[in-house]
Amino acid sequence: MIILFHLVLCIGTVVAQATVSSWVSINGLYPDLCLVLACLAGFLKNEYKGLLMGLTVGLFQDLLSPGGIGLNMILKGLAGSLAGATTHTISTVTVPAVILVTLVLSLVCGLASLIMAYPALDGVETFHAFSRILAPQALYQSVLAAGIFWISHKFRQSVSVVHFSQGR
Amino acid sequence: MPRTEPSSLPLATGLRRLLLVVGILFLLLVLFLPRNSQEWLGQVGGPLALILEGPLRVMASIQDSVTGTWDHYVALQQVWEENQDLQRQIQELQGEQNRLREHAILALEFQKLSLYQEAAPMVTLPARIIGRNVSNWYRAMVIDKGTHDGIRQEMGVITDAGVVGRVVRVNSTTSIILLLSDPNVAITGMIQTSRDEGIIQGTPQGTIQMKYLPPLSSVQVGDAVVTSGLTDDFPRGLRIGKIQQITKAATDLFQLGEVTPIVDFSKLEGVLVITSFLPPISTESPTSGGTLPAPAGSP
Repeated sequence: MIILFHLVLCIGTVVAQATVSSWVSINGLYPDLCLVLACLAGFLKNEYKGLLMGLTVGLFQDLLSPGGIGLNMILKGLAGSLAGATTHTISTVTVPAVILVTLVLSLVCGLASLIMAYPALDGVETFHAFSRILAPQALYQSVLAAGIFWISHKFRQSVSVVHFSQGR
Repeated sequence: MPRTEPSSLPLATGLRRLLLVVGILFLLLVLFLPRNSQEWLGQVGGPLALILEGPLRVMASIQDSVTGTWDHYVALQQVWEENQDLQRQIQELQGEQNRLREHAILALEFQKLSLYQEAAPMVTLPARIIGRNVSNWYRAMVIDKGTHDGIRQEMGVITDAGVVGRVVRVNSTTSIILLLSDPNVAITGMIQTSRDEGIIQGTPQGTIQMKYLPPLSSVQVGDAVVTSGLTDDFPRGLRIGKIQQITKAATDLFQLGEVTPIVDFSKLEGVLVITSFLPPISTESPTSGGTLPAPAGSP
């Protein structure tokens, strides 16, 4: 059942990315919802869930992407697992940690995607893409991930409080 | 003092009885007096009526206001319910109107595409755009036609206005189109007036350039750019855009033109996929176009 839920979540995220992500675009830039999902799975669960979610959502994203099959799958899988590993082993999962880790992972994944998508870019064009697209997008994604993490964290806390009070 | 109280009580009781009897007699007297004789009573009672008038008016106005409020409330309740019904109907009608308008716009767009499809000297397959960019790195679209409909990689994609892009990935029921503004797309183009040829390619900024224009070309700003037909995906003469700017550095061998695309990629809802350059030889459905033999590049 949980696998089915994860599958639906991945498909829904990719479909939202391809259709309604422009609604939340800022100055023509929209977040990579798939990366956010993978990172959140790592933050909220663990590195294995992050890896699995990242691989799945990346695969679906690859199916709708002009790039080669596998790139998004690998990048998202790595991002999810690293998000989980970093926040659960090195530090505790806090909102600043979520922002920092998502920012770094977004920059790394974005740079890898940029190089794979446009291998012939020169330094000026790469810098332009980095400063105009990559960095703002990474910032957007980290804030978005932190917001969703904070909401879900609060929700889980309230649910656990209810369970605790019912148990007493 | 205690002795006086018992003697005063009967006196008080007697006085009360006397007053009661006098009062009853007075009322009987008034009742049986002739009507004319009763007028003085009216004159005596006039000032008393004035005293009562004020509170009566106040009470009446309160009653009126309460009654009015109640009546209005009840009436407004009905009006409110009616208003709610009307609001609901308006929303339904607006929704229906919006749906009809959308259908009409889509129908008009596809009608234009259909008319163009019939007139164009090539076999095309109409497709609907069902998704857009899934990342910020590609300028791409997803259409609702795939290998089952005869779509193959490298097929050209157009609208009645001009060139849109090229099919780069085909799934069974969907395909991915890279737009002309993507740097990974390059097609051969031609200045319509001077017949100078060049390569049309997108840039990372999302603009379109025409590269390798001959240095002695007489190309000018505003000249129309069309496909040259030298590649397998587009026939000759399809509109691409207009030259917006021409640059040539002192060290460059060729001129570089910036092209304004004739198609607004952000507002596309339907496209035509060129499945063959050969004109349709029968009235078969467009879906059969994908099975026709591919031409050798020229229309």
